[in-house]
Amino acid sequence: MTAETIIQSLASGLLMGLLYGLIAVGLALIFGLMDVVNFAHGEFLMIAMYITFFLFAFFALDPLLSMPLVAAALFVFGAVVYLLIVRFAVRAKANAGMVQIFSTFGLAIVMRGLAQYFFTPDYRSVNHSWLGGKTVSIGGIFLPQPQLFGALVAILAFVGLYFFINRTDFGRALEATREDAGAVALVGIDKNRVFALGWGLGAALVGLSGAIMATFFYIYPDVGASFALIAYITVALGGFGSVFGAFAGGIIVGLVEAATALMLPPALKSVGIYAVYLLVVFVRPRGLFGSM
Amino acid sequence: MKITRRDVLLGATATAALAPLGARAQTSEVVIGVIYPLSGASAQIGVDAQKAFETAADLINKNYDFELPLAKGEGIPGLGGAKVRLVFADHQADPQKGRAEAERLITQEKVCAVIGTYQSAVAVTVSQICERYGVPFLSADNSSPSLHRRGLKFYFRAAPHDEMFSQAMFDFFDAMKKKGTKIDTLALFHEDTIFGTDSGNAQLKLANERGYKIATDIKYRANSPSLSAEVQQLKAANADVLMPSSYTTDGILLVKTMAELGYKPNAIVAQDAGFSEKALYDAVGDKLEGVISRGSFSLDLAEKRPMVGKINDMFKARSGKDFNDYSSRQFMGLIVMAEAINRAKSTDGEKIREALVATDLPGEQTIMPWKRVKFDSMGQNNDADPVLLQYIGGKFVTIFPPQAAVAQAVWPMK
Amino acid sequence: MDSFHQRRRRDLFVAFIFAGLAALAPLFVKDVYVQNIMVLTLMYAALSQSWNILSGYCGQISLGHALYFGIGAYTTALLFTKFGVLPWFGMLAGGVISALIAMGLGYPCFRLRGHYFVIATIVIAEIGLLLFHNWTWAGAALGIDIPIRGDNWLTFQFTRSKLPYFYFALALACVAWFVTWWLEDSKWGFWWRAVKDNPDAAESLGVVVFNSKMGAAAVSAFLVAIGGSFYAQFVSYIDPESVMGFQFSLLMALPAVLGGIGTLWGPVLGAVILIPLTELTRSYIGGSGRGVDLIVYGGLIVLISLARPQGLVGLFSSRKVPAQ
Repeated sequence: MTAETIIQSLASGLLMGLLYGLIAVGLALIFGLMDVVNFAHGEFLMIAMYITFFLFAFFALDPLLSMPLVAAALFVFGAVVYLLIVRFAVRAKANAGMVQIFSTFGLAIVMRGLAQYFFTPDYRSVNHSWLGGKTVSIGGIFLPQPQLFGALVAILAFVGLYFFINRTDFGRALEATREDAGAVALVGIDKNRVFALGWGLGAALVGLSGAIMATFFYIYPDVGASFALIAYITVALGGFGSVFGAFAGGIIVGLVEAATALMLPPALKSVGIYAVYLLVVFVRPRGLFGSM
Repeated sequence: MKITRRDVLLGATATAALAPLGARAQTSEVVIGVIYPLSGASAQIGVDAQKAFETAADLINKNYDFELPLAKGEGIPGLGGAKVRLVFADHQADPQKGRAEAERLITQEKVCAVIGTYQSAVAVTVSQICERYGVPFLSADNSSPSLHRRGLKFYFRAAPHDEMFSQAMFDFFDAMKKKGTKIDTLALFHEDTIFGTDSGNAQLKLANERGYKIATDIKYRANSPSLSAEVQQLKAANADVLMPSSYTTDGILLVKTMAELGYKPNAIVAQDAGFSEKALYDAVGDKLEGVISRGSFSLDLAEKRPMVGKINDMFKARSGKDFNDYSSRQFMGLIVMAEAINRAKSTDGEKIREALVATDLPGEQTIMPWKRVKFDSMGQNNDADPVLLQYIGGKFVTIFPPQAAVAQAVWPMK
Repeated sequence: MDSFHQRRRRDLFVAFIFAGLAALAPLFVKDVYVQNIMVLTLMYAALSQSWNILSGYCGQISLGHALYFGIGAYTTALLFTKFGVLPWFGMLAGGVISALIAMGLGYPCFRLRGHYFVIATIVIAEIGLLLFHNWTWAGAALGIDIPIRGDNWLTFQFTRSKLPYFYFALALACVAWFVTWWLEDSKWGFWWRAVKDNPDAAESLGVVVFNSKMGAAAVSAFLVAIGGSFYAQFVSYIDPESVMGFQFSLLMALPAVLGGIGTLWGPVLGAVILIPLTELTRSYIGGSGRGVDLIVYGGLIVLISLARPQGLVGLFSSRKVPAQ
């Protein structure tokens, strides 16, 4: 194994890790806001990829341009899912945790079924987009442009999110609602509105990652499943409740995955991710940066 | 249950409508069960398969002028022109569900034969159930060699299995080497389900027997979110030939990742699967000029056998796609089964089995480049010669074996 | 407490009636497809009931029970095909191995809370899946095809008849139910209720509660592994994906969740509704290839979990559902 192989693997792992972080951050945001894990997160990603694909196929809109549209569409979708389903799941007096898991899990199945019904199970992909298939070579190390761009968006999204939560009124309302929904109601903030916006924001972030993913990944109704588990692990590894944790978690997951594939047979590369997760939580039961 | 009753009613109405047409044997329709993944991760295959089987049923049930068994005339003459009716069932790639569906088709729908299943793991349980009920099962497109070696009486496979396919690849390598092409090292790249494992094992064995060096043997997890690390290792090994055994999803990701990491192998010789799917070439065809895939079907057979092109058009009208390695085998699966039922002159399982054992169909009466269809004692057709196809200028041309080839192989690939 | 014991006696009585009625069902249902659904329903009732012991009563939500199911299936199949050990012994061995593994894993995992615990269970089961996927001696992806040698109770193989499997699954469901019934009134059951009603009690009861959780994990894993052994015999072919996949962990939990998690009757009720629904939608709508079965199935899960968060069992009894 040459040094070049190792550097290339780790570079690829880092880029992929940033993307994992971007996929996971929406999940982290929603959880941080209202302690709900969205088990349909992978399907949100799937929808975002399909929207990107159809905008490209019918309007020749490059994923780079359609990214804001996809994010906006997912924002609406996320808010609607909150208002139609999650709002009631949170209200459940008994077994709130299980109700959330299984109502969003049921939603995931419905979304896959609907995708198959309307989009057919055919595999789609976005061909000849501006970034797709292009790559940058630095000293023999290849960095694909879609993933580079994804990494950039991920970093920007995290910086933006940081300022948004800490510096804007809405961000502070999110934070306050999370801490004490009852008290917030007294000062005239509508809890449902804040939560719906939070869900929209979380989904919009998935929309960003979906638009980027569509430039280099195939699209079909079950595509979310490959990423969902990684997203949950990423969030938990970073620590529930911490947006920065999801960022760090993503990078760790990407690097560990790449490193494991160098050491073990590649078929076992996920074992590395799983083992690191277990190690971390056994030592720190709240994840790396978790607050709860 | 409601739906069954409706089906029965529909069947009855159809029978009544046909009744004045004249004398028939007591069997007015032949019900054949078709088990495929119709939802879940491989639903696309199942949905395409439906179209292939419907095309075959249409050929049998209506009058066409093709040199294909049962195409001429309507229905199955051996049973007084009885029509073929297909009942589709969804196994969702789960062996247990495949088993339950096979049992339902046999006991409730009274099918006289079962065809399936795409996933080899499901074929294991479906064929077991068929064996228990004495109903013939035909593997249309399962390529796992272990399937026919289980001593089942009611198991049949008209198409080649992975060892035959891999053998053709190595025959091709030997032939190329004789011509002076440098082929010493191979890189195996296969997924970790039954298909990739079987294929990888067969290739490993053949490579050792015939003195090729395995530069790297990578087994990867199917549907991985990323293949960067795997491709990196392929690139480092830089073998003379890359031999992937991948389904469509991983195939697309593999080719894209290879381009992104600047890996351009000398030659790719693929174990079909994803590499015969239109979706893969739609996605990354521009990067695959010169890729070689094994197959049991080639459209350029249409030049020698015009009906192949016409039947392909019929399939295309239904599905919007050309026949590929899977849909062509599925199509032939029903034709072979119906041809046997015709000779059996019965829908009794044992009689159909006897007819299948006696099957001897010349290759010209198929849409495949096969020599003939004739089953050995284990139910395998050993005369189903696989071919190697090369993707040139947006379509596949046959390059091997010499008797079927229409062009010379382009080596290395562009 | 009198009413508590009266109710328990009534539960036992009702269970006897149901078990008796179920035992007579094959007299009236001759269709093998329907019998197959009945077998699966009972199997899932048993699995879900066992899952419920750890996840419902004990509050440790596991989405990794496929691990124990798979270990049960593999132990039986490997011992039989490689060493000729009869499945009845394999079943016991699989159960014991699973119980030991469950305790070994419980030791570090029970320190984790909420979603951290849930994800840990998922991840551990996935590791198991990957290991079996790559373990050549155990068949790897090719799985294990258990050869059929005709009807025999010793090898627990029956070519066409579903009845032996039906009665075994019924017995397993009854055992799982009875264990749950018995636990409800045991010291363990008392502690679990105490901990749920008053989290502070958990601190003072720390050690004993921890031990009881280990016990619950072992019992739960043991019973699920027996279910796995049963499945291997019933299907006579296993591969890693079909006995250890993540889907299986969810399928095991669903009946209890829909029926009523942490309740005695929830898993049974959930299985009786859910399994026939799953099978019938796939068989009669799934053939269209358009995913309608998924829409119906997923939609019902959403509706039920929203409309009856405490489970469907609430519809049938005025009995207080233990709060989560």
